[in-house]
Amino acid sequence: MASEAIAHESEHHAPPPQVAAEIIARELVATTTGASGRFKVWAWFLGIASIAGIVALVLKFIDQSDDSTKWGYVAAMVSFLLSIAGGAPMVAMAPVMAKANWVRPVTRIASLFSFAGVATIIMLIPLVAILPPLVTEGARRRTIWYMAPDYSPHVWTTLSLVLLLVTGIALFYSAALPDFASMRDHATGWRQRLGKRLARGWVGTDSQWRTLRMRIGMFGTFYFLILVFVNFLVTSDFGQSLVPGWRDAILPMYHTVSGFQAGVAGVVIALYFSRKYMKLEKYVHLDAFWSLGRLLFALTLLWIYFFYSSFIVFWYGRSENDIATLNLQVRGPMMGVFIAGMVLIWVVPWWILIWNKVRRGTGAMVVGSFIILVGLLLDRIRTFVPAWSVPPDQIHERWLKVIPEAYWPTLFDVLIMAGGISMVAFIVMMMTRVLPVLSVWQVQEFNLLSKPIRYIRGHATLVAKPD
Amino acid sequence: MSTQSILGLFQQPEPAADAMDGLKEAGFELGTFDVLTGTPYPEGAFGEYVPQHRLFRFPAFGAIIGFTLSVFLTAATQLAYPIVTGGKPILSIFAMLIIMYEMTMLAGVIATVVGIIFESRLPNMKPGIYDTRITEGWIGVVITFDDDSKVADAESVLNKAGALEIKHA
Repeated sequence: MASEAIAHESEHHAPPPQVAAEIIARELVATTTGASGRFKVWAWFLGIASIAGIVALVLKFIDQSDDSTKWGYVAAMVSFLLSIAGGAPMVAMAPVMAKANWVRPVTRIASLFSFAGVATIIMLIPLVAILPPLVTEGARRRTIWYMAPDYSPHVWTTLSLVLLLVTGIALFYSAALPDFASMRDHATGWRQRLGKRLARGWVGTDSQWRTLRMRIGMFGTFYFLILVFVNFLVTSDFGQSLVPGWRDAILPMYHTVSGFQAGVAGVVIALYFSRKYMKLEKYVHLDAFWSLGRLLFALTLLWIYFFYSSFIVFWYGRSENDIATLNLQVRGPMMGVFIAGMVLIWVVPWWILIWNKVRRGTGAMVVGSFIILVGLLLDRIRTFVPAWSVPPDQIHERWLKVIPEAYWPTLFDVLIMAGGISMVAFIVMMMTRVLPVLSVWQVQEFNLLSKPIRYIRGHATLVAKPD
Repeated sequence: MSTQSILGLFQQPEPAADAMDGLKEAGFELGTFDVLTGTPYPEGAFGEYVPQHRLFRFPAFGAIIGFTLSVFLTAATQLAYPIVTGGKPILSIFAMLIIMYEMTMLAGVIATVVGIIFESRLPNMKPGIYDTRITEGWIGVVITFDDDSKVADAESVLNKAGALEIKHA
C-alpha cells in the first residue's frame, strides 16, 4: 500500500500552496528590479544583434532596393515575426474568455509579445517600398485588390499591421492598469513615477473592475479579428500576388494557425525562462505548462491538417499553374527546406508532445517549442523566398513557366534574420524591467478563486468560476 | 458644503461585505459608498451597487461610422475612376469588402479606446481617499457624503463590521 501511495504521489502533483496577496504584490513588483548578470549579458547581446539587423536592413535597402528578387528572406522574416508576435497575445485572450484559471499567471507574458510587433513593422518598411504597384508595364497584376488604386496593398497592409500593434498594446494596457497601480504603491524611483502616470488614478472600484473585464474582452475580440485579417493581407500581398498562377485559398488560414502554434511556442519558452531565472515557481505552476502543452499539441496536429488541405488541391488539380506552384513551393529548389521545416514543425514536436510525461514536465516542452520555431522559420522561408525570387517581368504570365533557382541568404540576410529574432526577445526582456512579468492582480485572482483540497485519497484544486 | 469621504479598511472580505450591508440598512444611498479591492472579486460578492454602463455602444457606433466612411470611400473612388475590370460592375461588393472590413475595425478600435476613457472614469484626476494596502489584498469600503452629520453613522457601521482602520479625507 505504501508503495502504491508513493507511485500515486509521483504521478499526480499536489496543488501548489496559496500565497498571501501582499507577498504576491511585493515579490512580483520586485522582479522588475535587480536584473541578474546573466540577464544583462543577454540583453546587451540581443540589443547589439537587433541594431546590427537594422543596420543590415538599411544597407541592403541602399544596395539592393532595385532588385525585388533579393528580398525573400526579409519577407520570410516579416511573416515569421508576425506569427510569433501576433500569435502569442492570443494566449492572453482565448483561454481568458473561456474562464480558464491556469492561464491567469500566463497572460502578462503573452501580451508582452504585442510590443514585438514593432520589429515586424521595422522589417516591413523596406518591403513596402519594394513591392510593385498594382499596375506594372501597363497591365494590372492579379491580386486581391480587384479595382483598387495602385498602391492599395502598400497602404492597407501597413495600416493593418499598425492597427494590430495598437490593438495589441491596448489589450496589454487594459489588463495592466491595476498593476501600474501596484507599481505606484510598491515600487520606487522611475518605476513608481511611471506607475503613477499610467495607473491613471486606478483605485480598484467595482466600476473600474467591471470595465476592465469588458475592455479585455472587447480588445481581445478586435485583436483576433485584426490578426486573421493581417495574415490574409500579408500572405496575399507579399506572397501569392508575386507568383503568376499561385491561387491558394487555404494559405491565409494555414499561415494564421501556424502563427498560433508559433505564438504558443514563444510563450512556453518565455514562461520557462522567466519561471526558472526569476524564481517564480510558486506562481507559475506546472498546471500552466500542462495546459499549454495540450494547446501546442493540438496546434501541431492542425498544422498538418491545413498543409494537407492546401497541398491536395494542387496535387489533384494538376493544371499547369497547380504543377508550377508545387514545383516552386514544395518539389523545386526549396524541397530540402520544405522537408526540414515539416520535420521540425510537425513530425518532431508531434513525437515529443504525444507523451504525457513530456507534457507534464517543462524541459522537453521548451525543447519542443524551440524546434517548432526553427521549423516555422524554415516553413516561412520555403513559402516567401521562392515567391520573391520570381522575376518581376514574369508577373503577368498565366502561370510560372520557369522555376527560379534557389536564392541562398547573404550575410546581410543572415544579420537581418538574426536581428529580427533578437529584437523580439530583446523587447520582451526589456518590458519585464518595466512591469512585472506576471500580472500581480491576476496571480492574486488565481489564488482568490482556487483552493487546494484533499479529494478522497488524492489532491485537487477547487476552482470558483463566477459568471 | 464640502464633500467628505471616509475609508474603512478590512483584511477579510466577509466583514467588508457586512459593512456594505450595514451601510444599506443605515439608509445610505446607493452610489454614495463603494468597495475598493486590488483583486477583481466576483460581481456582487460584496452586495455592491452595480452601475449601468454604455461601453458596448462605443465600438458599435465606431464600427458603424467606419463602415459608412469605407462605403463612401470605396464607392466614391470607383465612381470617380470608372474602369470596368473583368466584366464586373463598377461597384463590386467583393472588391470593396477588404477596405470596408479594415476601416470598420479601425474605427471600432478607436471608438473603444475613447469609450474606455469615458466609462472607466479614467484618468481619475481626484482618486479621493485611498490606501496602498489595497493592492496588497486589503479591502476598502469608501463612503462619500455632503452631510457632515452622517460621518458618525458611517463610522459606527464600519466599526461594527470590524474595520481595522478608518481614514478620513
